Amino acid sequence: MSFLRTRRFVMFAAVFAVGLSAARAEPLPETIRFGGFGQGFGKPFGVAVLAIAHVKGFIADEFKDTPVKFEWTYFTGTGPAINEATANGQLDFAQYGGLPNIIGRANGLPTRILLSYGTTTVFGAARTGLPIHSVKDLKGRKVTIAKGTILHWAFLKALEANGLTAKDVTIVDLKAADQLAALAAGSVDASFATSTLLSLRNQGIVNVFHTSRDAGPKTAGFGAITVTDPFQTKYPDATQRVVRGLLRAAEWLSREENREEALQIWAKSGTPYAALKEEFEDQPLKQAYNPRIDEFLVEQYRDAIQFAKEEKLIRNDIDLKKWFESKYLEAGMKDLGLERHWPRRAADGAAVN
Amino acid sequence: MNVRSLVARDVKAAAPFGRLAAGLRAFRPADLLLPLALPAAVLLAWQVTAVNGWLPVQILPPPAMVLSTLHDLIRDGDIAANLKISLWRISLGFALGAGSGLVLGTLLGVSKTLDDYLGPVFKALAQIPSLGWVPVLILIFGLAEALKIVIIAKACLVPTVLATAQGIRNIPRHYLEVARVLRLSGRTRLFKLLIPATLPTVFSGLRLALSHAWIALIVVEMLAAQEGVGYMMVWGRTLFQIDIVIAGMLVIGVIGLAMDTGLARIARRLRGWAPDHG
Repeated sequence: MSFLRTRRFVMFAAVFAVGLSAARAEPLPETIRFGGFGQGFGKPFGVAVLAIAHVKGFIADEFKDTPVKFEWTYFTGTGPAINEATANGQLDFAQYGGLPNIIGRANGLPTRILLSYGTTTVFGAARTGLPIHSVKDLKGRKVTIAKGTILHWAFLKALEANGLTAKDVTIVDLKAADQLAALAAGSVDASFATSTLLSLRNQGIVNVFHTSRDAGPKTAGFGAITVTDPFQTKYPDATQRVVRGLLRAAEWLSREENREEALQIWAKSGTPYAALKEEFEDQPLKQAYNPRIDEFLVEQYRDAIQFAKEEKLIRNDIDLKKWFESKYLEAGMKDLGLERHWPRRAADGAAVN
Repeated sequence: MNVRSLVARDVKAAAPFGRLAAGLRAFRPADLLLPLALPAAVLLAWQVTAVNGWLPVQILPPPAMVLSTLHDLIRDGDIAANLKISLWRISLGFALGAGSGLVLGTLLGVSKTLDDYLGPVFKALAQIPSLGWVPVLILIFGLAEALKIVIIAKACLVPTVLATAQGIRNIPRHYLEVARVLRLSGRTRLFKLLIPATLPTVFSGLRLALSHAWIALIVVEMLAAQEGVGYMMVWGRTLFQIDIVIAGMLVIGVIGLAMDTGLARIARRLRGWAPDHG
């Protein structure tokens, strides 16, 4: 299929070349293309800030006086598929996990990080009846994760924190929906995944023995909303509008009276409503969806880059300074009077103001 | 029957020192160079595309990069380790699938009654692609090694059965009549008539089975494996390192070609051993 898009590549390359040589800003693009990770259920909806900005029309609002059109794609193949689509020149903005962010960038994808999309609660669950009550008990067990995603990172970090390494377990690489089948069929003992695991728990098939909520903010999944460098160079105004729309979505999320509606929107992705409700119970959404590029986010990326190098997931280093592009975020927060809305976090995740 | 063996046969008929001459003539340099023309053209187009940057390097890395990745993978033993597992799966799956395929195919070819009972069901089942069996087979076998072997075996079974049954049914009627008139023993009939007459068809079935085995192998390794050449390619894709994927394609291409050539050689050997039946 990719070969049928040769013309697009040529256009992409041309746009790239123009963007680099002239750095000439143009008014507005015809179409802006957004990509987000799906939940593996094949639904054309996603989660987190992007889904809210999409469904509630926050981004469309920013362009309401223009003819700009939008395309939204939520990838069942999650992060790795988003990297491919970005390389194909099919996406301008993308919301996806930190590890695939890193893998894409280290392989030369021209992405820039605009803001954090928030955190994903990571759950560890084991089949009921097995004597697995903590991460330590996973020694010698068969554990399924989606390798190459942020959950892969979260799992190995959890092992490390409990004095184990990847060699102490057998890792079975499966996509989210297949993991549920494998657990139900008894082919694997445990899984590290998102709240999709909770529906199996409600059926009595698994017990949850780990959540990143209990283990601390540094153990939660993280990621960013990125823009391609050629796009933001060519369309700074459009980029600013998009970021403003995303910030308004994050601000809307931070108001507790909207929690119910947000959960309903996210449930369109195929993750059951009850699972989402439980994932965010006792957790302010304002805290979970803090868009800031602060010491905490930078440290999480630094840590994951180190991890990716140790695990030989990437071959090249990444210059963090050249990767984060926070000017749109800062200007957007200022425009909207939200400079003090979300706290800055220190490297350990604690709010500093 | 390929061109080379046709030439060989003509030469054998014409010249007294047949085999040697045929052998010499069969290995003209052109025979070796011609098959390389297309790959060379593709390689050239690939290099030109890479040099001009027509495709992003993340989608199509330049040949030199793939070569150096291939070199690294061989040096670090990744290829050897993965290939060992893949070849083991192929061998076991092929042995099981082709072995039982020969038996079943013979039965279906020899017995009209059995063919009436089993033929349609078998053909219906054969139409379901290997991938279609996967969800059901996962429930039965789990994700363990057995699943992979069974899927590969099933992929080999179908073409072997069809070719074997066809080969037996295609034995010219008058051969069988002659055998009956001459009152050949069962043993003689088997070795002098049945096997030689069906060999070419059976072997083309086996070669087809082998190529199906590779397809099935890659499918199962992409789906539910932690090692093997197919998994190495999936992993390369996850890591967004397409050079690993292309390196895997090259390895599979070369090994597959070698195995197919090997089977073709064996077929030719056996045909030489069996009496010429015209």
